[in-house]
Amino acid sequence: MNSLRKQLNCITSKSYIKTITYRCLATVTEEITRQNDIFVAEQQRQKEEVGRIEKIEVQYEGVPANETLVMNKFLSTPYDCAKHLGDKIRDKSVVALLNGETLWHMHRPLPDSCRLELLHYNIPNPAAVNKTFWRSCSFLLGAVISDAFKDNVNVQLHSFPSPNVKSGSFVYDVQLSLDDWKPTESELKVLSIEMIKFCQKEFHLECLDVSKDIALEIFQNNPHKTQQIPDIAEHNGDKVTLYKAGTHIDISKGPMVPNTRHLGRITVANAIKLDTDIPGGPIYRFQGVALPAAITLNHFAYSILEERARILNSARIPGSQGVDNEDNSFISRIAQ
Amino acid sequence: MNQAEVTKLVSQLRIKVNSRLRKFRNPKGPEERLNKLRKTVTALIKHERIELNYPRADEARMYAERLISDAIRYGDCHKTTMEMADYWLVEKQLIHKLFKVLAPRYENYTVAYTRMLPAPRSYPGYLKAVLELKGNPYPSLLPDTHTNRNLIHNVLLDEAKKAYRMQKYKEIANKVEDRVRAEAQAAGAQSSQPVDVKSNTENAEVSESSQKELNKEVEVKDK
Repeated sequence: MNSLRKQLNCITSKSYIKTITYRCLATVTEEITRQNDIFVAEQQRQKEEVGRIEKIEVQYEGVPANETLVMNKFLSTPYDCAKHLGDKIRDKSVVALLNGETLWHMHRPLPDSCRLELLHYNIPNPAAVNKTFWRSCSFLLGAVISDAFKDNVNVQLHSFPSPNVKSGSFVYDVQLSLDDWKPTESELKVLSIEMIKFCQKEFHLECLDVSKDIALEIFQNNPHKTQQIPDIAEHNGDKVTLYKAGTHIDISKGPMVPNTRHLGRITVANAIKLDTDIPGGPIYRFQGVALPAAITLNHFAYSILEERARILNSARIPGSQGVDNEDNSFISRIAQ
Repeated sequence: MNQAEVTKLVSQLRIKVNSRLRKFRNPKGPEERLNKLRKTVTALIKHERIELNYPRADEARMYAERLISDAIRYGDCHKTTMEMADYWLVEKQLIHKLFKVLAPRYENYTVAYTRMLPAPRSYPGYLKAVLELKGNPYPSLLPDTHTNRNLIHNVLLDEAKKAYRMQKYKEIANKVEDRVRAEAQAAGAQSSQPVDVKSNTENAEVSESSQKELNKEVEVKDK
């Protein structure tokens, strides 16, 4: 990338380079464009399929007051409801709770009349919220890794295990074409900074249910995901739930946080080579630790968390047998 | 070389002292500036928490800190300190409060006696602040992120603490094991039974004492 920048430097003026490098070099490869085109087309199709708009009643419970909102069926999301309730609530809500039992992604259209609660990080029992946050961190870590390496390194995202905050780190397992890579301090720092930069772009995390065929088409160049998709679809009524942040698309059961700006402090702590029998190259487990922007912690306490995140996470190590993606169904019960 | 150390002549404040004082807008001159600040310092000592414009809060904070630290340092029998208190506290009953309530309260503090927090602005560009005395009886202005152990950072910290403890226990167990092994080797060919019993009891003692040590260590770390 630098060499290309240098070449461009000879030809053109500085401001022009900026736009060009931003447009051409800033990560948008052909593969990503192809995936995004399919995703956006499918999203558009689903929106048009709604047809005649019906109204639903959403009973909001919580601060500042209980309210009844009249929303659009299959179009309005909990995020839209939160917008009616004010900026503060819109920005701090992490995940919606429908009828007191179903966790619902903030950008996922509501299918029916329901009771709605909006959860945030500072509630008495935020276990579900923490899990949501941790899952989003894994997802975003994947987004950063798929983008951070040079072109000569082949990166194939494999999967991330079910989020477990108590393990001390969020995880993404990735196949790299590097034989025995031990990341240096500065490499990890660069990864952390890339992740922070990515989150500062304030992308919405969009959510879409697609059929098996479309999912296979999107992930046709990723052998691991292609292998996982049939099994995931089987457990999820022949649908696969995709999430998208910026241009990165990944499979996950969800729910996730509504926006990348929810992440405050982020550290990519370590990448450890795993001992697996997956063909095609070594699998590395990327680990990190992050805190929501709404929660501040002093640097000493945070450094303890960072130290702990360096130790290998004990989550299940993926093997060639069996699908180990956490995605079996979209709807995650709160009792989990 | 027999000079007094200048830094020890006045009490060192635990807040950042501005290099240049603010003048404020005063048609009546510098004396009026001090009168304004006297009012603010008096109000702070009286109410323990006040909301005001940021520059005035920042300025008054320094005088309040100095007044309290002098009251702690010299006590109420020191003439100069009493005069200063008399000057800075417009309402005279507050002099009693300064020496009898605040000085004992802050005696053992190692941090600043006041806290200043940014407050919502009434208009863009006009900064507001809340200035308060620490240890006041009002509910805290900052959200309580400590008592709820289910919050994400508390979950992470608690688990880190557990992991640290486990690691320490393991280290101690290893140490004890090594010692027992060494003793057994030293005993060598001697009759094995009494040695075994002895080592067992010792083992228990050692583990007890080491556990105490560990608990102390962990507590220190928690603090």
